[in-house]
Amino acid sequence: MSDVIIFVEQRGGHTRKVTFELATEARKVADMLGGKAHAVVLGGGAPALAEQLKGYPLDVVHVNDDADVDTYLAEPEVDYVEALARELGSSIVLVPNTMHGRDIGSRVAARLKTGIVADVTDLKLEDGKLVCVAPKLGGAFITSSAFKNTEYGVVTVRPNAFAAEAGGAGATVQPIAKPAGKTYVVKIESHVEEAAAEIGLEEAAVIISGGRGLGSAEPFDSVLKPLAKAFGGAVGATRAVADAGWVPYSMQIGQTGKTVSPRLYIAFGISGAIQHKVGMSTSGTIVAVNTDAGAPIGEFADMLVVANALEVATELTRLVEANRSA
Amino acid sequence: MKIAVTVKIVPDTTAEKKIDAATKRLVRTGMNLVMNPYDEYALEAALRLKEQLGADTTVTVVSMYPENGKETIRRALAMGADDAYLISDAALEGTDAWGTGVVLGAALRKIGFDLIICGGLSDDGTTGAVPGALAEDLGVPGIANVRHIESAQGSLKVQCETDNGYQVVNGPLPALISVTMAVGEPRYPSLKGIMGAKKKPITTFTVAELDVAGAAGAANAKTELLSFAPPAGRGKGQVVKPDDSAQGARVIFDYLKERKLV
Ligand SMILES: Cc1cc2nc3c(=O)[nH]c(=O)nc-3n(C[C@H](O)[C@H](O)[C@H](O)COP(=O)(O)OP(=O)(O)OC[C@H]3O[C@@H](n4cnc5c(N)ncnc54)[C@H](O)[C@@H]3O)c2cc1C
Repeated sequence: MSDVIIFVEQRGGHTRKVTFELATEARKVADMLGGKAHAVVLGGGAPALAEQLKGYPLDVVHVNDDADVDTYLAEPEVDYVEALARELGSSIVLVPNTMHGRDIGSRVAARLKTGIVADVTDLKLEDGKLVCVAPKLGGAFITSSAFKNTEYGVVTVRPNAFAAEAGGAGATVQPIAKPAGKTYVVKIESHVEEAAAEIGLEEAAVIISGGRGLGSAEPFDSVLKPLAKAFGGAVGATRAVADAGWVPYSMQIGQTGKTVSPRLYIAFGISGAIQHKVGMSTSGTIVAVNTDAGAPIGEFADMLVVANALEVATELTRLVEANRSA
Repeated sequence: MKIAVTVKIVPDTTAEKKIDAATKRLVRTGMNLVMNPYDEYALEAALRLKEQLGADTTVTVVSMYPENGKETIRRALAMGADDAYLISDAALEGTDAWGTGVVLGAALRKIGFDLIICGGLSDDGTTGAVPGALAEDLGVPGIANVRHIESAQGSLKVQCETDNGYQVVNGPLPALISVTMAVGEPRYPSLKGIMGAKKKPITTFTVAELDVAGAAGAANAKTELLSFAPPAGRGKGQVVKPDDSAQGARVIFDYLKERKLV
């Protein structure tokens, strides 16, 4: 028997869709393992978010609006999750595979002296073992792994891989005690928002992505953003355009950027270099617009339209917006 | 100041990857080996700091690799690192992220450091778990996703990337940071650097010397690979050559509609 703990990444009571995906999946995994599904929600705004999580099929939501979580980087969160895992005993910790989630997950794993399986897209029970399925090497292989030599396990879960479904009998919300005797030294001075995207790239169901073929920085704001908005999605980019300073690096997808797998990925003026491909080739549907019929992206896109990227993007935005208001 | 950079040796990204059916590990023989691209950024960040802080700052490269990886490590020295430590031992084959943290930690305790800089992910495993494991093992503050080092004299002030921007973070030294590629494009080794690298010291540690037998190798790993398979292939799709852009957009729209994506 093992319990399941989800780490809720949040700030000021706001979280991402992946939290609800984790909450939904936690129930399934807890049932497989014959344990309970727990969530840990920490920092300013935590109580309100905990109330919201009651609508998901969890057993217990542990909450503390500890100001240290907002003031100090990562460490307080790691302490809480570790403390809960030790209190529960044998347990599986699920964290989102985001920048912050990976950081928390790797430290919790180290504290518990256990393993971590990253970027997991499916979880199942085989021969009494929890099997974690994850694409590796840029989607070139699908791996199945399990934990051994340990009573704990940490899994970083790829956003968008699991459905988020409200339901359940209503979790108990209860306070979690602040771990005692800790001092913190790494201080967060300020937050700066650059891409004020409401939807994170890693969890967007639709990504409108641009490359050098768009010609300049301007269309990212004036064309791709409205198109992404019409889809309720987010804007991504290649490294070439991030290097050119057209967009911040936080928008870069690929080997040295973010790994995404939205339901729909539209690539405007992107050649489809291997380093870009490995960050997005597990997307549901891939559509590319490129003036070069021989662009490498044609080898793995479901549809390649040979045309001017900027013009097609502009016209497609019009069509999608018209469809929405129709 | 003593800066240590952790470097992983990985198969070339552009090379086709194979997995050995018996060992379930990546076939490394016959592969062109390179420095993990993220670690090149970590090294670049270290070299820039050294340029800023002056001559009494040193940059040491630390790498763990089952076989002899000296040739790959020479590139790091040619880029400008002062010396290198290689933990090279057949017993390391199959060590997982947790074990890697313990092994590197043991080496770094021997070597000494004020600041450790790691790449944020590795190119072959993409677990991104080693920096966190290493910081925990050493008991030093760990700061992840650093995109810019504002200052590192006496204490640290850095910018950490977040999902929609960044946060300014400060903390004491010694510490460990892991960097994103926004820290700056890695330099190419100069001819002078390449020549000079031949004379720079590379020290090798074994698992026994570091006393980490309990963390090394597949037997001690906390995860096991059960199976791997190529995904259901994504073949070449359709190529559409529209008369004009408006028609191109229409074709896409209809296709998305058919797939219920709009
Ligand atoms: C170690 C390393 C790591 C890397 N990591 C990444 C990464 O994480 N992410 C990433 O994206 N890249 C990465 N790269 C870079 C990668 O190799 C490519 O250089 C990059 O992806 C190319 O970006 P692009 O497609 O925008 O530009 P290009 O390759 O220049 O392609 C532009 C495309 O636009 C088309 N085009 C031109 N004009 C038009 C038009 N008017 N309308 C339509 N199409 C047009 C062209 O035919 C071309 O196919 C990495 C490289 C290295 C060496």
